[in-house]
Amino acid sequence: MTILRNFVRHVRDGFISVARHAAMSLSSASAVTLTLLLIAIFLVVSININSATANVESTVNIAAYVDWDFESDSEINDIKSKIENLEGVAHVTFSDKDTELNTVIDSMGSEDTKAVMEEYRGENNPLHDVFIVEVTEGSKIADVTSAIIAIDGIESADYGGDSTLVLMNVLDRVRFGVVILVVSLSALAIFLISNTIKLTIQARVKEIAIMRQVGATNGYIRAPFVIEGMIIGALGALIPIFVTIFGYIWIYQETGGFFLTRMFSLMPPHPTVLYIALILLGIGVFVGLIGSFMSVTKYLRWKR
Amino acid sequence: MIELTNVSKKYKNGVNALYDVNLKINAGEFVYIIGATGSGKSTLIKLLDGEEIPTKGTVKVVGTNVGKLRHSKVPHYRRNIGVVFQDYRLLESKTVYENVAFALEVISMPKPEIRRRVHEVLNLVGLYDKGKMFPNELSGGQQQRVAIARAIANKPKILIADEPTGNLDPEMSIEIMHLLEKINREEQTTILMVTHDIILVEKRKKRTITLQSGHVVADLTQGGYIRHDNT
Ligand SMILES: Nc1ncnc2c1ncn2[C@@H]1O[C@H](COP(=O)(O)OP(=O)(O)OP(=O)(O)O)[C@@H](O)[C@H]1O
Ligand SMILES: [Mg+2]
Repeated sequence: MTILRNFVRHVRDGFISVARHAAMSLSSASAVTLTLLLIAIFLVVSININSATANVESTVNIAAYVDWDFESDSEINDIKSKIENLEGVAHVTFSDKDTELNTVIDSMGSEDTKAVMEEYRGENNPLHDVFIVEVTEGSKIADVTSAIIAIDGIESADYGGDSTLVLMNVLDRVRFGVVILVVSLSALAIFLISNTIKLTIQARVKEIAIMRQVGATNGYIRAPFVIEGMIIGALGALIPIFVTIFGYIWIYQETGGFFLTRMFSLMPPHPTVLYIALILLGIGVFVGLIGSFMSVTKYLRWKR
Repeated sequence: MIELTNVSKKYKNGVNALYDVNLKINAGEFVYIIGATGSGKSTLIKLLDGEEIPTKGTVKVVGTNVGKLRHSKVPHYRRNIGVVFQDYRLLESKTVYENVAFALEVISMPKPEIRRRVHEVLNLVGLYDKGKMFPNELSGGQQQRVAIARAIANKPKILIADEPTGNLDPEMSIEIMHLLEKINREEQTTILMVTHDIILVEKRKKRTITLQSGHVVADLTQGGYIRHDNT
């Protein structure tokens, strides 16, 4: 009963205080808003890049071509196990040159060309037996490729060029940058909220002094300020949440769900936008909690 | 109830406020603490309510070693001690009733109990009809009585008053004295009263501890400012 009554009182005091210091609360809430807007943009971009990267990473395989002098079953099995034992290799599939040729022929448009290609069946097949190698991590692809080339009986190996690798490196760096930015923007918001709460504390020093004198616990004194900080943080999250929800749905509809190329498909709005909204609200409330908690604790520590 | 053993207090700025103080005050006593300005009276009070920590020696109050108290334990300890100051320290935006109730709300006392106790103490200090008034509508003596009501609302074992009559004229001072004596008698509260008012000390004789430059220079159980060898 008492706990519930205290809680209701603290929440009420928190709202009253936000209202009383409306201008101050609003200014630090707008700092949260700004921070969260940036975080929202980066979240949207990074969630999409993340899924795009995962896409790219999973589709990039190494093709290792077998020398024509190493096509016996035992040689093929030998090479296969050598590749499988390399570090960074996830999965190896073998495809012989007849299958490869069939794939090529099937992909031909006109019946005439197909007929011409049929000539190459059997002894005349100009293709190589091939191992399709999946790597555990995109970043290892270059190393694995050179290791495969070094194996006896491999004629050549490639993985669709350096551009893939460059792209993946860039994406990695973007992801890293996003984390740094989110952390520093949150720190800024925490600082601003703790300053607002400091001013609220200053407006209530006399009350706090009396509470301390009559033996109110630190937690009791702290509660309304922390709740106030959380309210400010939540208020600051409102605009970013709405901007994200409606903005993302709009972008998704305008672009038809793709960005630049078919390879970069956007995440569908439905669960994504809700997750982002929750994350923004969470960050807002958390930032408010940390900022105000720091502020009151510092004040309470200063006096016994 | 209160026991100070070899207590010294040196502030961070180097000021030595108390030297090797030894004191023992029993439950139910009413004690004056007197001394010139800067002699260490307020410092002694701060050591008692845990606001300051002794540099040397031990301060024991109601069985607690106050100097060793962890920061988070200070609030609960403080519920044993009511404090009253010269400047009343009431909340201007709250009524008399609310000011007293506030002290009980913040220690999570149930509401019906708060109502009962606030009426009880307002009665005790003679302000039962002033509950709805605001502090600035009261005289200095009345405001001090509200402060006293607030200090004793939680039935502390000890009431400390730092120059409670410092801002009051002699008549009002005597009223406050009567009130403190009544609390000492009726609520069995141990009372420490810091004062500059020599006339008062002479008039209503009690155990008197005299501080001078941080030393206890006199502790007269029979009371009085100067030694009375003649009577
Ligand atoms: N927080 C503090 N920091 C540093 N020095 C202090 C502090 N509080 C008091 N002092 C010093 O300690 C000495 C004793 O001060 P204290 O307040 O105990 O005196 P007092 O007897 O209460 O004086 P008064 O009658 O004027 O209230 C003084 O020299 C004072 O300047
Ligand atoms: Mg003093």
